Amino acid sequence: MRKSHPVRRVVLATAATVSGVVLLLSLKPASDPAAASAAGAAPQATAAGQESPQGGSRGAAPAGSGTVTGDAVRTRYGAVQVRLTVGNGRITKAEAVQAPTGGLSDQKTQLAVPKLNQEAVAAGTADIDAVSGATYTSEGYRKSLQSALDRMEQAPSGASGSSGAARARTVTGKAVRTQYGPVQVRITVTDGRITRAEAVQAPTGGLSDRKTQLAVPKLNQEAVAAGTADIDAVSGATYTSTGYRQSLQSALDQAGG
Amino acid sequence: MTTTLAGGRAARRQTMRRIRPRRSPAVPLLLAVWAGAAAVLWLWWHDTPSIADDTGRILGAGRITGLLAGYLMALVVLQMARVPALERRVGSDRVARWHAMSGRYTLCLVVAHVFLVMWGYARQAGRSLGDLVQQTADSVGQLPDMGKAAVGTGLFVVIGLTSIGPVRRRLPYDTWYHVHLLTYAAVFLTFWHQITTGNDFAVEPAARTFWYGLYGAVTALVVWYRVLAPIRLNLRHRMYVEAVIEETPGIVSVLIGGRRLHRMGAEAGQFFRWRFLAPGMRFSSHPYSLSAAPRPGMLRITVKAIGDHSARLRELAPGTKVWAEGPYGALTAQRRSRGKVLLVAGGVGITPMRALFETLPGAAGDITLLYRANTTRDLALWDELAAIAEERGARLMYAVNSPEGERPDISAENLRRKIPDIDRHDVFMCGPPGFAQSVYEALREAGVPARRIHHESFEM
Repeated sequence: MRKSHPVRRVVLATAATVSGVVLLLSLKPASDPAAASAAGAAPQATAAGQESPQGGSRGAAPAGSGTVTGDAVRTRYGAVQVRLTVGNGRITKAEAVQAPTGGLSDQKTQLAVPKLNQEAVAAGTADIDAVSGATYTSEGYRKSLQSALDRMEQAPSGASGSSGAARARTVTGKAVRTQYGPVQVRITVTDGRITRAEAVQAPTGGLSDRKTQLAVPKLNQEAVAAGTADIDAVSGATYTSTGYRQSLQSALDQAGG
Repeated sequence: MTTTLAGGRAARRQTMRRIRPRRSPAVPLLLAVWAGAAAVLWLWWHDTPSIADDTGRILGAGRITGLLAGYLMALVVLQMARVPALERRVGSDRVARWHAMSGRYTLCLVVAHVFLVMWGYARQAGRSLGDLVQQTADSVGQLPDMGKAAVGTGLFVVIGLTSIGPVRRRLPYDTWYHVHLLTYAAVFLTFWHQITTGNDFAVEPAARTFWYGLYGAVTALVVWYRVLAPIRLNLRHRMYVEAVIEETPGIVSVLIGGRRLHRMGAEAGQFFRWRFLAPGMRFSSHPYSLSAAPRPGMLRITVKAIGDHSARLRELAPGTKVWAEGPYGALTAQRRSRGKVLLVAGGVGITPMRALFETLPGAAGDITLLYRANTTRDLALWDELAAIAEERGARLMYAVNSPEGERPDISAENLRRKIPDIDRHDVFMCGPPGFAQSVYEALREAGVPARRIHHESFEM
């Protein structure tokens, strides 16, 4: 039955909690070591990938054959980026130019990436099985592969001749600030129609990552389909949708004027 | 009634054979709690690759406080699940103090978590600190399960406010208790946002499993020990009031009949939470110690009429049905490690001491009871005590105020003079807080080690 000292206990508990939290926070590095090492391998792609989660980094538009590089997709363990070699409209080779490294990731990458490469060549689509034990990497691989495949399909229109290319131009809307971060839309206009829409900036961090992943592709599709800024908001991502619409409108204004 | 053992070495040996002190599991339990907290912090560490700026730091602090609050919340509920290992081995009083302490701490963490996360989100959205209220309203409106969480947090704050010392003393016990029961609703409401918007649980299935496991286990324990076990106990034993006896002015004994009451597993020194199904009393339960060892058809509690509830006990009609939960309490013979025992009782604190005085195994001269009261008239149960003392060859002493109202001097010196080998005794103590504190200090000074002073205090 020791004497209790309530004030002393409160002071001690507060001091211990605050210093513990501060210590934990200060021990965290300012940048992700996994992402940093990936950046060393492909600086441009990663830098672009970081500032625009929905892929601003585009490889050179290929012709009927050549190489296409997909978006650098960030996963929890590092970036994944796929490069395809295309011959006669078919994938002849797939490789990962970026994959998670460090710690357990080295092993997993060595294990998973060759399998994923094989699967990609065999399937010819992004509909490939995940390698068990490397779910995140597989997921990132699939996304990057899909973006590379998208680019392959666009390639004919992008390289269909100098006249077509002249008429196609990209316009970037103004960055619209939302509650969770800025949104900025870039559209590709060909013959006065939107042929492609993408977000070069979108909210990141915390829940926003998931919401952005969910909402932005839908908004991009809607923008292309509608051809105007009069698109539906994605439920659960109201702020991002509103920002997207405003930025899209400003891009359309620029394209029109 | 235990048989009296004759003095002598053989008897002493026989007594010692029956003494098997059980250690309180408090230390391993606390270690497990700390290990869990470390695991929770590790989860955050593992899921946070980097922190770029001050906004990240604020959000990081918000997530750490949130994770810890979610973890401790489960433990705070667990502490009140009436798990026998806690109630009977650690001691209900100690667990209740842990509960109060960790409850306050958890509430502070919850408030810090809400503030830090909203501040972080406001900064992300380019708002100033002044827009915190707007930010909170937006987040509650948009993020999944945040509406529920906001209601739950509001409940926590209300529960916390009603438990602050001065407020609680002014509230009727029943009001406070029923407000406190809202904790279950609040925990339920705040649980879901942890899973759906909590960064660590949204991305990490293993963490989610761990969290469901933690809360699931606590829920199971609460349902079993707070609901099902009491129902089983009362269906089995069907207790009722047999008689109410006035012992001394202001102190009454309630005799409780029922079926096979010796099979309830109650030991001398323990208590039950009693609910008397009489008008005006059925909605509150109160802890009262057994004042005699349980017998096949009879339990007895002895109560001082201090509160509203205890005063009404006097008017209980025989035959009134009784709902009991228990037995609880760790102030039992299990705590004993020595052959010789000193029992110290202050006022109505005699109740568990009376039961122990009757049942603690010991040879003649091994057991001593020191009974403190204001006047000799206030020495409730004195005749019984004298009879037990005579039968067992135990020593019985009392200390009352002098006719002028002067308090008796229970000092180390006096104790040593009366009981020369006091430092070789186990001491069991029950009485009002001030009395217990001063006796404790006197005992320590007389050379009794702290680990051999066994005491239960329901002071927070």
